[in-house]
Amino acid sequence: MHTLLDIALVAGSFVIGWAVRAWRGQKGHEKKFLTTSLVEDGRTVAASPMLPSALVELIPVPIVLLDMEGHLRHVNRTAKGLFGDSINAVVRHPAAQAVLAGLPREMIETTLLELDVPVRRVVRASFRRWEKSMRAVGWDFDGVVMVLADHTEAAVVDRIRTDFVAHASHELRTPLASLTGFIETLQGPAANDPAAQQQFLAIMAGQAARMQRLIDRLLYLSRVQRLEHTRPQQMVSAGDITDRVLEETCVMMRNADASLTVEAPEDDIFFPADEDQIVQVLLNLTENAVKYGGSGVAITLSAQPSKRGGVVFAVVDDGEGIEPDHIPRLTERFYRVEKRGKVSPEGTGLGLSIVKHVVDRHGGRLTIDSAPGRGTRCSVWFPPAA
Amino acid sequence: MAPEGVHTVKSYEQELSRLRAMMTRMGGIVESQVAQAIAAVTAQDEDAARAAPGQDPQVDALERDVEGLAIRLLALRSPMASDLREIVAALKITGDLERIGDYASSIARRSTRFDLADSRISLSGLTAMGRLVQENLRRAIDAISQQDPERALEVWQSDQGVDEYYTAMFRALVTYMMEDPRNIGPCTHLLFIAKNLERIGDHATNIAERVYYAVTGENLPAYRPRGGLASDAAETSVTR
Repeated sequence: MHTLLDIALVAGSFVIGWAVRAWRGQKGHEKKFLTTSLVEDGRTVAASPMLPSALVELIPVPIVLLDMEGHLRHVNRTAKGLFGDSINAVVRHPAAQAVLAGLPREMIETTLLELDVPVRRVVRASFRRWEKSMRAVGWDFDGVVMVLADHTEAAVVDRIRTDFVAHASHELRTPLASLTGFIETLQGPAANDPAAQQQFLAIMAGQAARMQRLIDRLLYLSRVQRLEHTRPQQMVSAGDITDRVLEETCVMMRNADASLTVEAPEDDIFFPADEDQIVQVLLNLTENAVKYGGSGVAITLSAQPSKRGGVVFAVVDDGEGIEPDHIPRLTERFYRVEKRGKVSPEGTGLGLSIVKHVVDRHGGRLTIDSAPGRGTRCSVWFPPAA
Repeated sequence: MAPEGVHTVKSYEQELSRLRAMMTRMGGIVESQVAQAIAAVTAQDEDAARAAPGQDPQVDALERDVEGLAIRLLALRSPMASDLREIVAALKITGDLERIGDYASSIARRSTRFDLADSRISLSGLTAMGRLVQENLRRAIDAISQQDPERALEVWQSDQGVDEYYTAMFRALVTYMMEDPRNIGPCTHLLFIAKNLERIGDHATNIAERVYYAVTGENLPAYRPRGGLASDAAETSVTR
C-alpha cells in the first residue's frame, strides 16, 4: 500500500512543485506552457492561469484542497469517486484537524485516520501548506493540499478473518453436532433398521446442505466486506439487472408456487455499480419474499429513477409481513425471525446482512417497510455517478 | 467568488466562516468520541474507553469559543435574516454537540465497569444501534458544515430507526435479566448505554431540526415520526 501513497505524494508534490517553480521561474516558455499568461511591458497579466482545480482533476489520486480554516475548496474526481460524501468526515476528523492547526510552511505531514460509518475505512492523509504569496497557479487564498490514500484493506482483512472463524465455528457447531448424533445412532441402535436409516440419512443430507449453504454465504459475505471500501465506478443498466434476476429466479418461483412480476422503467437507468453484487442483493430479497411470504405469494420487482438521482429497486410481496420489533434487527448477522416457534430451515440469517454490506459499499440505502398481514416492501436506493 | 449576498464588511464574512469552521471541528471531535465509546463497549477497547473522556475539555473549550464568537457577532454586527438564524442556531447546536460528547464519555467510562466474558449476552443489537446512531450523527454534522436542509431532513426522518432499536434492546435485556439474576449487573449497564445512545440520536435530530430552520427559515413539524415506545416494551415483556 505504500506504493500508492508514494505515487500520490510524488505526483502531488511534483505537479504542484512544478507549477510553483513554473510560476516563479524566470523561463518564459515554461510559464507560458502552464498558464498561458501574457507578459506585457514586463508586467504579468494572469490572463487565464490554469486553475488549480483543473490541475488536480488531472491527477489520478484523491486530492482535496482546503483553505486555512479547513473548508473544502475543491475535491477532485478521484476523491469523489473513492470517498463519496465521507470526504467531509475525513476532513473534520480530529487527527486531520490537529495536523491542519499546526502545519508549518513547506512541510509535508502525514496522519492516519479511521472512520466507522458508512463503511469502515482507514485513510492515510498527507498535507502540504501553500500561501497565496507563493502565487501558485492562480490560487487566491492560503490553503492546504491534502492527498489521500486508502489503507482500509490491510486493516480490515485481519478483522474479517477473525469474524469468519468466530462465526463459522459458532454457526456450524449445531448442524455438526446433529450429524455426529445421527452417525452414532446409525452405527449403534439403528444399524439393522433400514427404514430408520433412510429417514436419518435424509435428515443428515438436509443438515449437510445447510452447512454448505452457510459456508457459501459466509465466504460471500467476507468477500463483500473485503471490497466494501472500494466504490464501484463501472456504469451498469438497471434493465439488465432486473432481466437477470427474472431469469435466475424462475426455477425457484416454480418450485415455491410463487410469482414474480418485473416492472422495468420506460427508459433504462444507468448507475455506477458492481452488477453481480446488485443481482445478488435482489436475489436475496426475492428469496426472502418467497421464504417468508407463504405459498402463493405474489412478488413484484421494480426499478424506478429516484427523485434525488440514482435508481430505486423495490421488492414488494403480499405475504404475511414482519412484526415491527424485528425490522431494525433484520440486517444483523444470523438474526432470524422465528415464526411461532419454528425457524425456517433454509435461512442462514446472512441474506440481509449481505444486502446491507453491498448497499453500504455503493453508498446506497436499504429501507424495509412491513406490517403483519400487509406484506413487505424492501427497497434499495443506489446513488448516481459522482 | 462573488455571489450575491456577499457582506460588505470583509471581516464579518470571515468571522461567520470561522464560526462554521469551529462548529465543524467540534462536530469532528464529538463524532470520534462517539466512535471511541462504541468501540469501548463492543470491542472492549480500553484505550478507546480512556480516549473518549479525554477529549471532553477540547469540546468544552470549543463550545465556549463558539458562544463567545456568536455573542460577539450578535452584539457588533446586528445580523439579519439567515445570518441571524444561523448564529442563533450555532449557539444551540454547540449545546447539543456538547451533550453528545458527554453521553459518549459516559458510555466509554461505563464500558470498563462490567465484563461480558463469560455470559451469553449478545452485543450485536448494540453494535447495530451504534452504527445507526453514528450514521445519523455523521449526516447531522454534514448538514451543519454544508448548511444542507435535505441532509437534515434525512436525519430527522431516520431517528425512528434508533428508537425502534432502543425498544428492541430494552426487550432483549429484560429477557436476559429474567433468565439469570447474574445478568442483572451487566444488563443494567447495557441498558444505560442503550439509553445514552438513544439520547445521542435525539440530539442529532435536534441538530438536524436547527440546521433546517437556520437554512430555510421554516420549522419542521412538531410531531416527529417515532419508533416503538419503551413503556410498551416493558409491559409486553414483563407480562409475557
